[in-house]
Amino acid sequence: MKTITLTLKKKSPISLEFDELIPDKIYNWEKADFENYDVPVGNTRFPLTDYFDIEVEGAAEGPEEVKMILDGDMGRVKYIGCEMSAGEIVVNGDADLHCGAQMKGGKITVNGDAESYAGREMEGGELEIMGSTREFCGCSYIGEWRGMSDGKITIHGNAGKQLGECLSGGEIYVKGNCDILAGIHMTKGFIQIDGDVTRWPGGQMKNGNILINGKLGVLLEGLVFDQIVKDPEIEGKNFSGKYIKYTGDIALNGKGGLYLNAEKNRDLL
Amino acid sequence: MEYILKNGIVYDPANDIAGEKMDVMFKDGKIVSNVSSDAKVLDVTDKIVMPAGVDPHAHIAGPKLVVGRIYRPEDSRKGVTPKTDVCRSESGFSIPSCPATGYRYSRMGYGTVVEAAVPPLEAKHTHEEIMAIPNIDVPPLPLFGNNWFVMQYAKEDRIDELAAFISSWLKIVKGYGVKLVNPCGSEAWGWGMNVHGIDDPAPYWDVTSKEVIRALSKANEMLGLPHSIHVHANDIGHPGNTPTTIGTIDCVKDITKNSGVRNQTIHMTHLQFHIYNGTSWRDVESGAGDVTDYINKNKHVTFDVGQITLDETTTMTADGPHEYSLHALNGLKWANKDIELETSSGLVPFIYSGKSPVHSLMWAIGLELFLGTEDPWQVCLTTDHPNAGPFIRYPRIISWLMSNERRQEMMDNKEVHPWAHRKSALATMDREYDFNEIATITRAGPAKIYGFKDRGALTPGFNADIAVYDLNPNDIDPSREPTAIEAAFGAAMYTIKDGQILVKDGEIVKVVPSHTIWTNVKGFEEQENAIMEKVMPDFNRFYTVKFENYKVHDHFTPYPIVVDVQASK
Repeated sequence: MKTITLTLKKKSPISLEFDELIPDKIYNWEKADFENYDVPVGNTRFPLTDYFDIEVEGAAEGPEEVKMILDGDMGRVKYIGCEMSAGEIVVNGDADLHCGAQMKGGKITVNGDAESYAGREMEGGELEIMGSTREFCGCSYIGEWRGMSDGKITIHGNAGKQLGECLSGGEIYVKGNCDILAGIHMTKGFIQIDGDVTRWPGGQMKNGNILINGKLGVLLEGLVFDQIVKDPEIEGKNFSGKYIKYTGDIALNGKGGLYLNAEKNRDLL
Repeated sequence: MEYILKNGIVYDPANDIAGEKMDVMFKDGKIVSNVSSDAKVLDVTDKIVMPAGVDPHAHIAGPKLVVGRIYRPEDSRKGVTPKTDVCRSESGFSIPSCPATGYRYSRMGYGTVVEAAVPPLEAKHTHEEIMAIPNIDVPPLPLFGNNWFVMQYAKEDRIDELAAFISSWLKIVKGYGVKLVNPCGSEAWGWGMNVHGIDDPAPYWDVTSKEVIRALSKANEMLGLPHSIHVHANDIGHPGNTPTTIGTIDCVKDITKNSGVRNQTIHMTHLQFHIYNGTSWRDVESGAGDVTDYINKNKHVTFDVGQITLDETTTMTADGPHEYSLHALNGLKWANKDIELETSSGLVPFIYSGKSPVHSLMWAIGLELFLGTEDPWQVCLTTDHPNAGPFIRYPRIISWLMSNERRQEMMDNKEVHPWAHRKSALATMDREYDFNEIATITRAGPAKIYGFKDRGALTPGFNADIAVYDLNPNDIDPSREPTAIEAAFGAAMYTIKDGQILVKDGEIVKVVPSHTIWTNVKGFEEQENAIMEKVMPDFNRFYTVKFENYKVHDHFTPYPIVVDVQASK
């Protein structure tokens, strides 16, 4: 087991890019390798040691034996764990854009907030955000029609707009509230939101399921009432309570399911 | 500066040199037959030396490309490289950025690439993009097949006026030759329709594709343009389109050629998309046999293949209705770009996969065309970049053509769907191209087809456009080493353009601006003036731009190569 601890000593005003510092690429690096490494910053590179104190303990045979600890405010560190396939990364602070993007395996824990595009195009692994995140969590790349396909994202705080856009697999859990258009264009997968949702979940969805335990502001017209279900079983998971089930988006002949907590959404009954 | 490329093994089909060990010399940008003792020696002992590549059909500059880059940022993120001391950063896979386009062609040993579809209205922008593409010379082909003036003259069979219109318009837009895309069909798309076959008239015009093709061919030969008409036929990508294709080729058979260089009166482009037998995608079969039978008997036609490379790419063509039907087929995002009075184009991303029966059959049909055409001077290597695949796959196609073993292996290993051999004759064809035939279909042939008198051969006096590949033809067995062939043709040991070394060992070492090659017809000035007087009232009435803003001024072609042509011999 190898533990790599990077402690922030100077916050760059321009974002650092960490997609090269993932367990897959650095599992056999020694302390000296980190000290010789220049990290991309904007259109150039600077020594990693300008920004971090580095500690390396233990040895690893492969990426799965690596634990990276990023101490400090990583609010200006992009692409943390981008494309990683194994190992663990713990961020003790906020994370900048694209945290856990294109992740294939392993685990990332953010003990703070994550900026937009967290878990973009995830193919596997687990991303846990203890704080909140912003727009396009678990989404696709700009222009792309293939989004997150597998893995699990858990957000303990709130999520922003277009959560799980183009979702084609995997699971997203939001413990707090969520902004507009969760699950837009989704074709498969599961989204659960425990807090309140502003409006329009499931716009243009073709399939997959969205479950909302809080209060929904505005329902999209493309989702039509199906039935009231008690203690539903959705994708092998059991939920207790009464839910209003909608299907849609009928604009696309969608067969997706939207479940709203009946208790919290009495006005829709 | 004098150079001598020493001891290379030279393939120069235009001069009947097929694998001879000899020196190639050049001085001040031109090939020469001898140099002084001061000449700088480049040792290329036992390496393949060929003229630089000539791509007869690709979409590399113009409004479609811009739409593609705007609406496919997910393509731009592929192939991103940081800038170097010599190169700017690159981006894109199927629609590379302008600099990347130049660098990537240059790395493959190419020196000339034809931009095959320029809407005259957007010619200015096309030239601006050509300015941003380094290292390759670009002849742009303006679109004439759905132009309102052309359709009018074709309908009334006014060939003299049509010829005058073409010679004026080539000057106005700085174009090289005459391109037709789905003649009458792209006009019909303005009404949400298409034409089917060459005898189906465009709505409200009462003129058929056949009449337009014949009229443009006659006008083309009346002027004696260096290239023949360049035709993207009707019914592209529809099962059952083979008769339309053969009908298109056959309808200009009686027209007399007027050129000292080329042999053909019609060049059919991306023929692979046009030769599907059957009535639907369920019973579709290869029509390559019927078409190659015809082509082997008729020398008035040349073609390029448009080989499927089995990649995720972006289709873009000035065939608006076809792009809409592709969108209906694969459900991916569609962009339409209408050009008033002239043409209409569209774009759809496309994922060609070896798992798909239809795509595998298309792959096989392309290879069948290569292997079934007896005379390599009639066939050119293209992918109709980016429609059937990006141009960076040319080396891979070369490796397929040179190795029957590899082709059979792909069919045996299920890298392609069994439809590839069930519905085509590919599995029975064991022909393998040799290096001389490869040199023919990638440089000498296209250069002859375009009537170039300054490139495509290592003749003294020609431009010193030379490619050297790190392969010893006496050592390598292309049949068994397709990977080595692909690697070598993908990274030239030297690419020399106008006597300057641009690529060394697969890396760009020098960046030079592109030349724009355009055709200037002489001796037709009176007719041109007369036609402009006739055209202007309609131009002012129908176009939304003023003529003053339409013309491509000289500063859009800072490095022109003007091909002067004396009209009517």
